[in-house]
Amino acid sequence: MNVPRVAGVGLIVVVPVVVVPLVAALAALPWYGGPVLLQFGIDVLLMATLAQGWNIIGGFTGYPSFGNSVFYGLGAYGVGIAMAQFHLPFWIGLLAGLALGVVFAGVLGLAVLRLKGHYFAICTLGLAFVMTAIVSNLPIAGSNIGLVLPLLKSEVLFYELALGLLVLATLTVFWLAHSRFGLGLIAIRENEDGAAVMGVNTTLYKILAFMLSAAFTSLAGGIYAYYITFIDPVGVFDVVLNVKMIIMAVFGGAGSVFGPVIGALVLSAISEVLATRVTSLASLFFGVVIVVAVVFMPRGLAHMSAHLRDAGWRYFLDNVRAHRL
Amino acid sequence: MSDILEVRELTRRFQGLLAVDRVSFRLAHGEILGLIGPNGAGKTTLVSMVNGTLKPSAGDILFEGRSVRALPAFRRAHLGIGRTFQIMKPFPGLSVLENVAVGALFGAGGGEHDLRRARAQARESLEFVGLGARIEQRADELGGPDRKRLELAKALAMKPRLLLLDEAMAGLNSVEIEEVIDVIRKLRDRGISILVIEHVMKAIRSLCDRLLVLHHGEKIAEGATADVLRDPRVIEAYLGRERR
Amino acid sequence: MDLLLQILVNGILLGGLYALMALGLALVWGVLNIVNLAHGALIMVGGYATWMLFTRAGIDPFAALPITAVALFALGYAIQRGILNLVIRAPMFNTLLITFGLEVVLAYLAQFWFSADFRAINPRYAGNNFALGPVTLPTVQVAAFAIAIGLTVAMWLFLLHTRIGRGIRASAQNLVAARLYGVSPKRIYALTFGLGAALAGVAGGLYGLVSQINPYIGGPLTAKSFVIAIIGGLDNPLGVIVGGLALGVIESLTALYVGPTYRDVASFGILVLVLIVRPAGLLGRTA
Repeated sequence: MNVPRVAGVGLIVVVPVVVVPLVAALAALPWYGGPVLLQFGIDVLLMATLAQGWNIIGGFTGYPSFGNSVFYGLGAYGVGIAMAQFHLPFWIGLLAGLALGVVFAGVLGLAVLRLKGHYFAICTLGLAFVMTAIVSNLPIAGSNIGLVLPLLKSEVLFYELALGLLVLATLTVFWLAHSRFGLGLIAIRENEDGAAVMGVNTTLYKILAFMLSAAFTSLAGGIYAYYITFIDPVGVFDVVLNVKMIIMAVFGGAGSVFGPVIGALVLSAISEVLATRVTSLASLFFGVVIVVAVVFMPRGLAHMSAHLRDAGWRYFLDNVRAHRL
Repeated sequence: MSDILEVRELTRRFQGLLAVDRVSFRLAHGEILGLIGPNGAGKTTLVSMVNGTLKPSAGDILFEGRSVRALPAFRRAHLGIGRTFQIMKPFPGLSVLENVAVGALFGAGGGEHDLRRARAQARESLEFVGLGARIEQRADELGGPDRKRLELAKALAMKPRLLLLDEAMAGLNSVEIEEVIDVIRKLRDRGISILVIEHVMKAIRSLCDRLLVLHHGEKIAEGATADVLRDPRVIEAYLGRERR
Repeated sequence: MDLLLQILVNGILLGGLYALMALGLALVWGVLNIVNLAHGALIMVGGYATWMLFTRAGIDPFAALPITAVALFALGYAIQRGILNLVIRAPMFNTLLITFGLEVVLAYLAQFWFSADFRAINPRYAGNNFALGPVTLPTVQVAAFAIAIGLTVAMWLFLLHTRIGRGIRASAQNLVAARLYGVSPKRIYALTFGLGAALAGVAGGLYGLVSQINPYIGGPLTAKSFVIAIIGGLDNPLGVIVGGLALGVIESLTALYVGPTYRDVASFGILVLVLIVRPAGLLGRTA
């Protein structure tokens, strides 16, 4: 009861036997995988971090943000402006991007987290559009021409950074799942009024969750900016990015610890395979996956794998039956 | 100050409709006060203002002598005000134990910070209300009477000094009502002051030291239970309807 | 002064079109409680449909509008019955996700068939205009405005005075009660969504006449429709007219006084502000 468990097995067993070797194997990938795998790895690791970041505010707290791309873009521009305009080192840019993202989340959160459900979703979506429009008009950000960053020919560095960030994000989510703070967030998700009446400082907790989510998202954006060496508003404040991170988290299992990571991996892998056939098929794929997944497995892979054994194919039909008109 | 709760001229307006009209009363330490009145009298609205779910339009609420009117609900929980809801507010996706653990973690004094101790306290509260067998079940799998018990256990885990019970016995059969009456008595023995909104006469007669009667938002009677129940205005308000 | 007047008129003409765009969204939101993130994509599809009828079949754009309306109605009906009906009792978030997915699919298909190039619908009379005092009014824009306002008023009358319209409004209030009146929920829902799609389609055709279309205009147009629906409230099509005109004028004034690249900042900024300040809508109820 008190020992944290992952999939029914005590942590004492899982961590040394499964997790550490896995992370070590992943860290060693640049030395046994080819350049294609390395690039794919960087993309997946960054997307998985975004999915985990979303998981904190959307999965645990129940506030579905459709605007986390704002923090991604702020992180990217933090690095971009610091390096391209002020010629500062990368790590200062990262800190700048992080600060921008977290402060924004705190200030915006105060206003926006008062909205419930779909209003929150729409408002954050609107924010994503606003940021694109505002940054397109800022000369220091290169307006809508964008910024060119100095080139660093070390994909290994970006890979390890992205891996480290994902590990940090996942550890944080794991901590959330087993901490007082995390249980408070879950209580907010399950019944916000009930949580407040029982003593949870809902306003503070929501804002902290939003800031935590923004932190990982903006760090991912910062790494991406230096990796890709060119950023522009439409590219980094991309609205489709929001969909991707949400669907990866939801597909894998929002509110679970490893769900977003697995969701990101599975969906990216399939999308990559499709992309080698027809280039832009990836977005069609995501659209179709969303529709099918929301209808047949709205609780994600995590829930499905837990219940498939008992229910079999009926699991999917039951989901439909429960939600149709 | 021997009153744990004092309510002064408390008023609540909803767009022109006066739901609670200048109600004043006191609740002494260790007392069980019954809040009765016909449906729509404003009882739940009154209680919601005391625990912080609703803001008053006018009037004041003093807890242990200090005004809490400006405090949000979660701060009042930290001070020791606990409440159950008529329309219950469980955390459906969480287990029964986790539901109650939230109360232990965030309740009076800011609650417990150690998860293990919080779970132990939650287990205690659940045993106390008789839900010990169901701690691993999901909250939304519980039936009606068990949901009531869960609601009560959640409030108890907060270690309240003042407990506001909103129709804790609605929908229960005779045996279950007796059990809840017993639980409430034990709570008073532990030193908790209780305000009970109830329709069940048996409970009112056996539990409440004093009664407060609301009708159309106004206080129409207050006093010792037996006296109030004989008051002709009270009987008229209920139109002679009585439930065993 | 003349410039300001011209700008205001431009804003009003644009606003009429915006109102029509938002009407379909508000209808579906108010009646079905579906927040359709693919609404802009339906506008986009309507634009391409009209464009195709004009460039491939040589049909005058205004004559093509009814055809577009019917086609989009069918598409909307199918989407609602085939897909959206399956998640209608799920949490709102599921609907948001699924319609977002539809938006992505529609945008992809449009890009696949029509490429990402901008297209405009330019009939021979596209450049005509007439003067009204100090103001120049492009004929096409005025016609679009007239059609937009006309359709909106027609929708209002439809909802108030026809049997089907009342059935739709009954469903919005209380689905169980509607059933008791012999209204089949599945059909009413699909009908309503189809209606919303048809309105979006016509708006798209008009948009292609006064502006340019490409596969990616869906997102921003959805967002603008939200602003208008939220400002105007979901109960009354006439409120949508007010919202649309307001947004059109604000955008035009922003373009004039702040800069043309700030139009989007204004419209989406207003969306965010209105939600933060008065999420219950300015003029009416928001579901």
